[in-house]
This record gives sequence, structure tokens and C-alpha cells, in this order.
Amino acid sequence: MTTSTVTRVRRQLPSSPWLFAAPGLLITGVFILYPFVSTVVNAFTDRRTLVPGKFVGLANFRELLHDDMFWIGLRNSALYVVCVVPALVVLPLLLALLVRKNIPGITFFRSAFYTPVVASIVVVGLIWVWLLDERGLVNSLLETVGVGRVGFLSDQWLLLFSAMAVTVWKGLGYYMIIYLAALANVPRELHEAASVDGAGAIRRFLTVTVPAVRSTMVLVAALSSVAAFKVFSEVYLMAGPSGGPAGEDTTLVMLVQRTGTGLTGRVGYASAISLVVFVVTVALMLLVLRADRRDES
Amino acid sequence: MSVSRKTLATAAFLALVLPLSACGSGGDNGGSGDASGKVEGDITFQTWNLRANFRSYFDGVIADFEKQYPGTHVKWIDQPAEGYADKISADAAGGTLPDVVNVSPDLVAPLAKAGLALDLDKAAAKYKKEYLAGAWASHQIPGTTGTYAFPWYLNTGPLFYNKSLFKKAGLDPDSPPKTYDDLFADALTMAHKSDGKVATLANVPTIEDFGRYGVELMNKQGTAFTFNDTKGVQLLSKYKELYDAKALDPQALTATPESSGKKFLTEAVAMNPGSALDLGNFKKQAPNLYKNIGITDQITSTGHVNMYVMGVMVNSRTKRTPAAVAFAHYVTDAEHQMSFARKVAIFPSTAGSLEDPYFTKEDGTDETRVRIAAAKSLKNAVNYTPVLFSDQMKTALRNEVAKALQGKESPKAALDNAVKACDTLLQQQG
Repeated sequence: MTTSTVTRVRRQLPSSPWLFAAPGLLITGVFILYPFVSTVVNAFTDRRTLVPGKFVGLANFRELLHDDMFWIGLRNSALYVVCVVPALVVLPLLLALLVRKNIPGITFFRSAFYTPVVASIVVVGLIWVWLLDERGLVNSLLETVGVGRVGFLSDQWLLLFSAMAVTVWKGLGYYMIIYLAALANVPRELHEAASVDGAGAIRRFLTVTVPAVRSTMVLVAALSSVAAFKVFSEVYLMAGPSGGPAGEDTTLVMLVQRTGTGLTGRVGYASAISLVVFVVTVALMLLVLRADRRDES
Repeated sequence: MSVSRKTLATAAFLALVLPLSACGSGGDNGGSGDASGKVEGDITFQTWNLRANFRSYFDGVIADFEKQYPGTHVKWIDQPAEGYADKISADAAGGTLPDVVNVSPDLVAPLAKAGLALDLDKAAAKYKKEYLAGAWASHQIPGTTGTYAFPWYLNTGPLFYNKSLFKKAGLDPDSPPKTYDDLFADALTMAHKSDGKVATLANVPTIEDFGRYGVELMNKQGTAFTFNDTKGVQLLSKYKELYDAKALDPQALTATPESSGKKFLTEAVAMNPGSALDLGNFKKQAPNLYKNIGITDQITSTGHVNMYVMGVMVNSRTKRTPAAVAFAHYVTDAEHQMSFARKVAIFPSTAGSLEDPYFTKEDGTDETRVRIAAAKSLKNAVNYTPVLFSDQMKTALRNEVAKALQGKESPKAALDNAVKACDTLLQQQG
């Protein structure tokens, strides 16, 4: 390499990183940054799908406070987090502990548990709708054992809990894989030492396994709480576009979709709801991370 | 060559902003609305989920049009049924709405209000007499003047019922209900005799049901909804009675037309509205049901059955207005509507077409019997769904109806709330 070439390379260095990053920045700008800024701006306007709208200040947010459907959506989304997140933090860990053992045929079970993750949510939703129908397999079994038919898809609470069960069932495999990776890093010696000290399986789980994978549990809690608060597909597929009986199973994201889409969509109002979803989601993340830091200290 | 950070930042900003400048309303740089010029140029034509089954038909129509009008080229786009309104709204907002678009009256209304639909009373008034008066009027919007789409095909259908379930419930399978009173009485008998296991109806009442029951849906000016009148409350009270007796399927509160169709196929409900097209499905998917299928007229208190109307709209901002208007008319003229009707169970909206022997002459098959009955009823059929009744309004009504059926509100309070919500949405639409 000659001296002049070295000089030229050095002179180009400050700008080169920007050029390399440009495609990524462009995509981020167009598909993430611009829609986000646009949503924030729209939240303060009365924009509709085909009408640009004008600045209305906090009117959309004031309307939210008096909108029953918003409170129903907030209640259901929050309930989803409260019920689904603990299940998705604990159950995949137990599953991972089961399938990490090297016994014959375990690969089959690992694959089987992971299959719902790769299945299309629409297909999964439809299958569960058929299973839980008034004349579906689950109700036929319940009737056979004398329980009688249960309105899984007609009662507002059963419908919501059925959708939660589908979310947990579909998410188990994904978080199981994350836990398997974390468990692989837990030194075997720790378990052996605990065994020598007389610790049983449950005690070893609580004093060795859980502390060792605690940071992974925090990660799973953060990821699943954000996903749970933004739930859409499961509830939409099982409760229908109207959000269950009298819309009582509507979640916040369903409300955004219903309010803001179509030719008469209220884009401004839907953006205001989106902004609330964003703020709550960030708050949830911060809450989980803060709880983690407090535990560490 | 050295590039400063400032220059790069500017370039990145422009790279971000310039593509976005292509988005937007499309401005007012469209056509003049004058359809009298030479028919030439490239146009786009968008249909609603028709390519899968009718590709060769539309390829033929387009080829014939291009042959008749040398210098024209029609690009055909087909969109899936799901999310069609969202696709149109994205195109309309982005200024990329095709020149000629397949629409329904409720889709035309917001597009016309936004100035995106060509007024055919001005641009194509000479064609008006070719269509049934009711069909032409179906794309007019209360509170505005003008007609915003060519009427295309119409559809209506009978009420199918399961003779076997009627017989099991002790009802005469050859004497299906003809009035609402008969329907409610038979439904209660069916629920009682089957111990609540077989419902007669699978859907909660929609705005169309209120219309068919004889409820005034809107005021004459089209500025407010009125379906909370005595008749409306009466209908909802009857449905509440059916719901409590399980004569209305318990899952009706969350049902869609597709899910209730499946319930009828699996013989979980005894009656379901449909069209001549459904007979083929019954034959293929549920042979047992097909053997026991009964066909009766739609029940109505007004003497007018409900009809669904499809239209073909011309984008007011097209740069090829003469070609777009000519093509929209070409697709919907009597000759092409008739040839389309022979391919699928739909009905032409052109004057005189329903007098064709195809719609009047029996050949002994069920399909023809349904077709002839439907064609006959279409002559004075009504599209009950108000063109201003948006999806959000449908949801508002549905939710209030559900509250009444569950007993959370009285039928009167539920309809009052629904009217209030729909009026608010109507005002917000402008």
C-alpha cells in the first residue's frame, strides 16, 4: 500500500460509516421513524382516512377518558398481561427443564413443543375456534363426562381466557428455546454441590436454577408483557371483528384497528389510542427492568 | 473525494423525505371529469376478488374493449375480499386509486364525499336509462346530488331451511314461515322441542333486518338515524325472547355470515339466508343437508326483499376520463352483465335484462327455481343498508344489540344508544 493510498483511505474514513449505515437508516426512517412521528402528530388532529384534519389539541385524549370502549380495551389488555406473563415466564422454564434431558425420543418432544410457534396464528386461531365451538371436540368431551356444554366462545370472560390460553400455548415453545440456551450455561457443578449438601429437586430448582436464569426470566417477562399488552390476532380470531359479545373482549390494539381503518376511519383518534399503547408498553418495559435492578441490588 | 458530515446528513435527510413526498393525497392534478373526448390511453381497472374464478371472462371483456377502442390499454388488478375497504382507503389516501374501481354503495359514499368519485349524472347521464331506476339510485348519497357509480350486478336470495329439523320439531316441513310472527313462533317451538340444542337463527339483527321489518332507518334528509322507533324496539324485543329460549344461536353475538353459514351446513341451525350459489355448496359439502333443503322467500314486512348492489366507480382524478367512463359502462352494459350472469349466480342491473328467458323459464332444477324466484323479487327489491352506514356504525349497532340480548340493557335503551353513537359517527364523517 503506497502512502497516497493510505492517506486517501484515512480521508474517507469519517464519511464511510454513514454510507454503510445509509440503507439501514433509510429503512428505519421510512418504516419506523416516519410512521411513529406521523402517529404522534395525528394524535393531536381530527384526521380521518380521506380528510387531512386539523389540530385539535388534547381533544382526542379527553374523548378517550369518556369512551367506554377504550376502558374496556385497557382493562382487557392489562388483564392479558397479568394472566399471560406469569404463565409465559414459568411454564416454558419447566418445559425446558423437562426437554433438556438426553433421553431417547426427546428431540420429537422438543420439536412438538416448538411446532405451535411456527404455525400460522390464523390457522391456530381457527383450529381452536373449531375445538371450543358449542359443538366442537372440547364441548363434546365435556358433555360425555357429564359437565355439559360450556360457552367458551359466547361468554365474554371464557372467551378472553380461552384466547389467553391460546397465546400461552403458542408462546411456550419460543420461550422454551430461550430458556434452553440459558440453562446450557448453568454450571453442572452447582447442581452437584447442592445435591451433595442434601438439596432436593425443588430446592435445587429454587436456589440454583432460578437464580442462574434470572436475567433470562426478566427478558422473557419484558418480551411477553409487551406482546401481551399489544395482543390482537388471538382475540380477533376467536372473538370476531366486533370484539366478542357487545365488544366486551376488545383489546386496545383491536380498538385501534376498528377505529382507524376503512374509508371512514378516525385516524386522529386511533393515533391517540396508539400513543397510549406506546406509553404503557414503554412503562411496562421500564417497570420490569427496574424490578430486575432492584432485585440485583 | 471527501464528504463532510453535514453533506451526508443532508443527503440522508433528503433520501428520507423525498420518497415520502410521493405519498399524500395525490393533489388535484387529475382529469377534468369531461367524458366526451376520444377514448384512448392506459387505464387501470380494479375488481373485488374476481380473478380466481372469472379470469377468462374478464380477459375477454378487456380484449374486446381494447379491440373496439384502438389505442386503449386496460390493466386489470384484482384485490382479495378480505380488507378490500382498507386497500381502497390506502389507495385513495395515497393518490393511487385505480381509474375504474369495483365498489359497493357504502364504499362509494366516503369516496364521493372526498371528491374522488366521478359524478355520472354529469359525466355519463346518457347511459342512465339503460339501468333499472332503483339500481342507478343505489349509488346516490343522501345530502348530496349526483350518482357516483354505474350499477353492476345485483344479488338477493331466498331463505334456506332444514326440512329434517323442522320435521323433528313437529313443524310442517312443507309450510315454512312466511311472516315474522310465524318465524318467531316456529323458532320457539324448535328450541323447545330440541331442548335448546337446535336454534332457528344464527345471526343477531343487522340494519338490513330492521329495514326489512319495516323500521324507518334514517330521516328523509339523511342527517340522523331513526331505527330506535317502536317497530325497531319490537323487533329487538322479539330477538331477545328468541335468545333467551336458545332459538337464536348462543354464539350469534360473535357470529359472522361465514360462521353462521357453517352452522347451517352442520345442521346446528335450522334456517339461514343465502343465494342460488349456495345450493352448489350444499350439494358438495353437505349432501345430507342438500337432500333435506327447503327454500322459501325472504321474510319481509314491507313487501320488498333486500338486495345487494355492486357498482363500478370512475376515479374523478383519472387522467383518462373518456376511456375510464367508456370502460366502466362497457363492463356494466346489458350485454356484458347478461353474459356475466350466465357464469355465476348474480343478476343484471340493466333495464329489461331480468325479462330474459334465463330468468323466467323453469327447467325443473332447484338452481333455476331459485334464480327465477330471485329475479322476480329483484324487480321491486330494496338495498336496505343506508349508504352512509359505515363499518364503525355496524359495530356500534351490533354491540348495543348484544347488550340488549344479554339483558344488560333494555331493547329501547340499547337502540337509543346505538342511534346516538351512529349519529355521532355520521356527524364526524362530515
